Amino acid sequence: MTSAEAISPQLRIFGAAVLLVFVGWVVRLVRTERLTLRDSLLWLLSTLVALVTIAFPELLFETAHLLGVQVPSNALFVLTILYLLLNLFSVTVGVSFVSARTRRLTQECALLRAEIELLRGDRSSAAHPSEA
Amino acid sequence: MVCLVGPASIRAPKEDTVRALVIVPAYNEARSLPTLLPAIREAMPAADICVVDDGSDDETAAIAAAHGAVVLRNAVNLGIGGAVQAGYLWARDHGYEVAVQVDGDGQHDPRSVPLLLAPIAEGGADLVIGSRFLTAGGFRSTALRRAGIRYLSWFIAMRCGARVSDPTSGLRAAGRRAIELFARAYPSDYPEPESIPIAIRAGLRVTEQATEMAPRRHGRSSIGASQTLYYLMKVSLALILLPQHPNRRDAR
Repeated sequence: MTSAEAISPQLRIFGAAVLLVFVGWVVRLVRTERLTLRDSLLWLLSTLVALVTIAFPELLFETAHLLGVQVPSNALFVLTILYLLLNLFSVTVGVSFVSARTRRLTQECALLRAEIELLRGDRSSAAHPSEA
Repeated sequence: MVCLVGPASIRAPKEDTVRALVIVPAYNEARSLPTLLPAIREAMPAADICVVDDGSDDETAAIAAAHGAVVLRNAVNLGIGGAVQAGYLWARDHGYEVAVQVDGDGQHDPRSVPLLLAPIAEGGADLVIGSRFLTAGGFRSTALRRAGIRYLSWFIAMRCGARVSDPTSGLRAAGRRAIELFARAYPSDYPEPESIPIAIRAGLRVTEQATEMAPRRHGRSSIGASQTLYYLMKVSLALILLPQHPNRRDAR
């Protein structure tokens, strides 16, 4: 096993700083209502996990050991990729959800517009020529 | 939402006719509609026509309106599933007893529409699929596509026991129960085959009726030859992964 020195203090400080800036950015977006709290939760949660890992690298080495990964940095890469995939997938789910709603709203607009045209009598005689 | 407004709802019911709506999904079909719509009118004089303009760039909506159809204008292109469902929503909200889908590209002969209505009028079916394979003659598509359709027909029989020889057919008639189901839950992308097991599982009675079809006159099919394989894989997967609760899908 590689010792805890595998991650240099400079790197840890740099990583922590980047993550903290990111958290600050997300919080700012939420507070200025450009990002909903609900959508930010997964990012905040997974970033928190990353911060804990940086604060206590032993956890990373434990995880690497448990996974049977020889080089702890590889375990870091695996976890990073999982972190990204998780967040990416949640976006995909969100897009599906939104597109189902868009579809329904588009239909509703079309129905209402046709309803208005009928009410206005724009084509009331033409729409039902069986009566004309 | 029930909006029983407009002349459609205050018209006195006619003898010997059910209140029927012909749904014509159309995307850039300005060239087909001037022949198609009068043909529908001739075949179904008592029916109302509802053209769903699925975000066309051409004069589809204006031509449909000029021919006396109710026009549903989708502000953005939703694809055939979303367009057809808009028609079913209109049919549901305006209390139509039957709705008939006729593709806007003119490949369906409107003269066969009354045939589709017969099983519903007799109370023997909720959904009637027009099939081009039950009679000789007419346009039968390419060999590759016919093989694909045979496969889908087999797959649907395996999946839900329905015997439908032409599951990709977009020529179909829906009774009141099917209208209400499809207004709530209608698949997107390539909806025709998938909608059959959805109907069966909702307890609807599905039958088929022989019709003739023609090759499309104008424009291009939404499915190119190279996409046939993708189509078959996508539809197969959709048939395997049918929604668990079709009634809850697209819940309002």
